[in-house]
Amino acid sequence: MKPAPFAYQAVPSAKDARAYLASPDAKAIAGGQSLGPMLNLRLARPALLVDIARTRDLRGVLEDGDVVTYGAAVTHADIEDGRVPDATPGWLRNAARHIAYRAVRNRGTIGGSLAHADPAADWVNIMTALGAMVLISGPHGDRSISMEQFILGPYATALAAGELISGVRVLRRSAKAQWGYAKFCRKEGDFAQASAAVLIDPERGEQRIVLGAIERAPACIPDPEAFLSGRLSADDVVAQILPERDEASRALHAAMLEQAHAMAFGGAVK
Amino acid sequence: MTQSTTLTVNGARVSETIEPRTHLADFLREKLNLTATHIGCEHGVCGACTILVDGQPVRSCLTYAVSCEGAEVVTIEGLEHDPLMAKLREAFSRHHGLQCGYCTPGMLATAYDLATRIPDADEARVRLELAGNLCRCTGYAGIVAAILDVLAQGPHVSAFTSQWRECAEPGALAPVLSHGATTTVQSAPALLPSSDSVDLTGGTKITRSVTIHADADLVWKILSDPWQVAKCFPGAAVSQVSGNRVDGALTVSAGPIRTSFAGRAEVLYDAATRTGEIRGIGDDRGGRSRAQGMMVFAVAPAAEGASQLTVDITYKLTGPLAQFGRPAIISAITSGLLAEFARNVAILAAGKEKLKTSLMRQVWYTLTAFLQPRR
Repeated sequence: MKPAPFAYQAVPSAKDARAYLASPDAKAIAGGQSLGPMLNLRLARPALLVDIARTRDLRGVLEDGDVVTYGAAVTHADIEDGRVPDATPGWLRNAARHIAYRAVRNRGTIGGSLAHADPAADWVNIMTALGAMVLISGPHGDRSISMEQFILGPYATALAAGELISGVRVLRRSAKAQWGYAKFCRKEGDFAQASAAVLIDPERGEQRIVLGAIERAPACIPDPEAFLSGRLSADDVVAQILPERDEASRALHAAMLEQAHAMAFGGAVK
Repeated sequence: MTQSTTLTVNGARVSETIEPRTHLADFLREKLNLTATHIGCEHGVCGACTILVDGQPVRSCLTYAVSCEGAEVVTIEGLEHDPLMAKLREAFSRHHGLQCGYCTPGMLATAYDLATRIPDADEARVRLELAGNLCRCTGYAGIVAAILDVLAQGPHVSAFTSQWRECAEPGALAPVLSHGATTTVQSAPALLPSSDSVDLTGGTKITRSVTIHADADLVWKILSDPWQVAKCFPGAAVSQVSGNRVDGALTVSAGPIRTSFAGRAEVLYDAATRTGEIRGIGDDRGGRSRAQGMMVFAVAPAAEGASQLTVDITYKLTGPLAQFGRPAIISAITSGLLAEFARNVAILAAGKEKLKTSLMRQVWYTLTAFLQPRR
């Protein structure tokens, strides 16, 4: 299908984006790889699209000591190809490579992925597992909130009217940190039906395990130690966190958790 | 609503006045008569419309032409005399890499990128890279063989320099990206799991309990008035109340999706125990989907002048919407809706006129219709 009519404005800076986003029924678009299908299917009918894909101050990465801030309009391909630094020992680059398809990654952006908040999206789950902060720029100034606070549910975020994601801030992780991320897709590039991420960072004393693609905000498990020490099996963890899902789905999530765990402990990285 | 846009297509400068909603594939086919770019699914899944923009493969159905101002667009027509494309064409032909030909322009654009970007790709990698281009004729065997054949003749160089959108220097980024002292950045603590207790026997059942910061008698007074309930419940509107029958509608949305349900409910109250029951049914516009449900609710006094509202919901969905009716989604959204309902009841009980604007508006999933059966 073709989209319903909309007005279009490309903007050169985040400030200009904010000015246009103040108008009613305006929607920011970056790569348009998630919003595009919704527009084409006429499920979304904004009056105005504010194109931030070429917004200069949202395209790039700011490194400040231990903190790396990715501009919202950085594409998946920018990360995949290493055109921007990776805050981790290659984890982001590897994950980017498996987001949808190359033609999608060339336009799709990290900020757009978070704003769309599809529960199956890679960055939604990975950034939650990394404890990332979302930078938000809006009519009442700038703020930053954690991923847990940012994702409210399927397609739902803490972005208020007129607000825009300016970037996402992640802590650097050294080679001493362990990481695994696994997702189950019917075919490469398809939406994940189950995903899991495991982070163990001894330097920061952080352990985080996230179950994703669950059609609500990613679930951080409350006691990662219980699983990591072997006291609880992956099946136990999934049964505890996702009691509402059917057996087949729980089995998929448990398998992904095991896979992510194995990867964190030296298993082959896909 | 038209806009003038200028871009380069197959080496020629093109200036057209178009509607912003025109995607690049339509622009090429309808405005420029370049029909080698095929349109399949039109939502980014099939890959038939893949072309090169600034030297990189993109989905032309998910790329609006106005967003390509100044870009260099290359279609299969523009690669007619390209030496690498000549090899690919020949190899596709020799290895039977096409039958009906519908996917072929997209396959060739993807193959062109693959041959220049990943010169050492093996069969597994080639198959991986082709995941975003669907072919329903060949079973891919011929396509993969053709690409491997061309790779073996390499290395190849793309005739187009990839023009990555420029990344800004830190100086340009700092004003926007450095807000908030970096010292305050910490990894957020892990979230507690939700204590959902959803039972899936027969209909889907959800139990929730929220604290309302208002006296139980006041809360009960609001709950026993359907007009007041609608005022507090996000998206609900009551059109008529007669006896214990309530007519109305519920507008629900999820992200950019929005729909409206109309229906009727029967409401029973027991003031002595401060409990009630709502039973109802509602249809969406066009009557394609139906939500049926029952909600049992109870108000009890809680500490410090607050009260506790407990609801048990059982619902069933049929029709097209049912395929989205995943319990996990509804469960999460119910919590959000009830939290906002609780806030609004508290505000109303406190006698404040203006109810909090719905922060959770974006959260309502289409299926929350069951929460407002037959309103």
